[in-house]
Amino acid sequence: MSQPLTPSELAAYRLRQRSRSRALALVLVALVVLFFAITIVKLKQAAASHHAQALAAPQQPTVRAGL
Amino acid sequence: MIAPAPISTAPAASEADWRDFYALTKPRVITLVIFTGLCGLLAAPGTIDPVLGFTAILCIAVGAGGAAALNQWWEADLDAQMKRTRQRPVPAGRMDKRAARDFGIALSGGSVLVMGLAIGWLAATILAISIFYYAWVYTVWLKPRTPQNIVIGGGAGAFPPMIGWIAVTGHITLMPVLLFLIIFAWTPPHFWALALFVQTDYDAVGIPMMPNVAGERSTRYQILVYSVALLVLTLVPWWLGLAGRVYGVAALVLGLAFVALSVKVGLRQTAEAGDTMRPEKQLFRYSIVYLFALFAMLVVDHVATLSGA
Repeated sequence: MSQPLTPSELAAYRLRQRSRSRALALVLVALVVLFFAITIVKLKQAAASHHAQALAAPQQPTVRAGL
Repeated sequence: MIAPAPISTAPAASEADWRDFYALTKPRVITLVIFTGLCGLLAAPGTIDPVLGFTAILCIAVGAGGAAALNQWWEADLDAQMKRTRQRPVPAGRMDKRAARDFGIALSGGSVLVMGLAIGWLAATILAISIFYYAWVYTVWLKPRTPQNIVIGGGAGAFPPMIGWIAVTGHITLMPVLLFLIIFAWTPPHFWALALFVQTDYDAVGIPMMPNVAGERSTRYQILVYSVALLVLTLVPWWLGLAGRVYGVAALVLGLAFVALSVKVGLRQTAEAGDTMRPEKQLFRYSIVYLFALFAMLVVDHVATLSGA
């Protein structure tokens, strides 16, 4: 059976655990920022492509109702 | 109220520091992966949004880190027996094997998924192949079986510039394949130079590296052959008009220096006890500088061509 940790081992263990949690939190925040930025870029690209397609499409003659 | 479980000695191995996870990704190797991937991306015809370009490079780096973690998970027992690797997180006992494996899988899977969604599925597929190639084809299959492990396994490190290029263009052409082949031909002389001066380590764990299977003389000769092949290969993009004069002259000068150092190693007599292996160490160090410089000049050449120089 494993022995309980001594106070100094426990302190070192808690320190490692805390530093790992902080690093993980940083990574998660960075990923949120990255995914947000990617989404904005993708939306911009989609809008620009839609706009370009609309400009390239041949102009349809408009028919006025009632004339 | 539920009392927290008492903490025993067991978590000491499973609660690795974040630095251990970072070390698991082989950061020094990743530097070269990031650089060659970035050069492939910058030298490719066309443009890419900076955010997407950053994402592509990040995915290449994280994917390489995932493959490195899987490599260290698989080779933990071997690493424990070699002086050069016994301080790595798993063999040193700072991290348990399952944590290394799960970390590797998470990084590999995550990088491929993000690459596919943000950049494109062709780039993601090549990234997935490169991870599989390093983690399985090289680590599990080739490395313990054949002294050609480095030759064929070199393909794993040759993918980044190709992925960077495809991230911009969205398709595979001759130039990214040539970039792949250049790193493919560069790997054997680079790694065998290292294997010559750390030979005893590989010997001890029964990894069939070229020097301890075919002998030093044959390895030295092959280093020379690959160096000449590398010089020729690096000139092909210039010859075919896929790269300009700036790249061509740089490839020639850098390649001739590479061959000159390889001649020193290739024509040298087999090392004796007490040999400092200076030419081999020189070649190993220069090979790293060489690859950085060659790919940097590819980008400089591309910029020069765009600005009409």
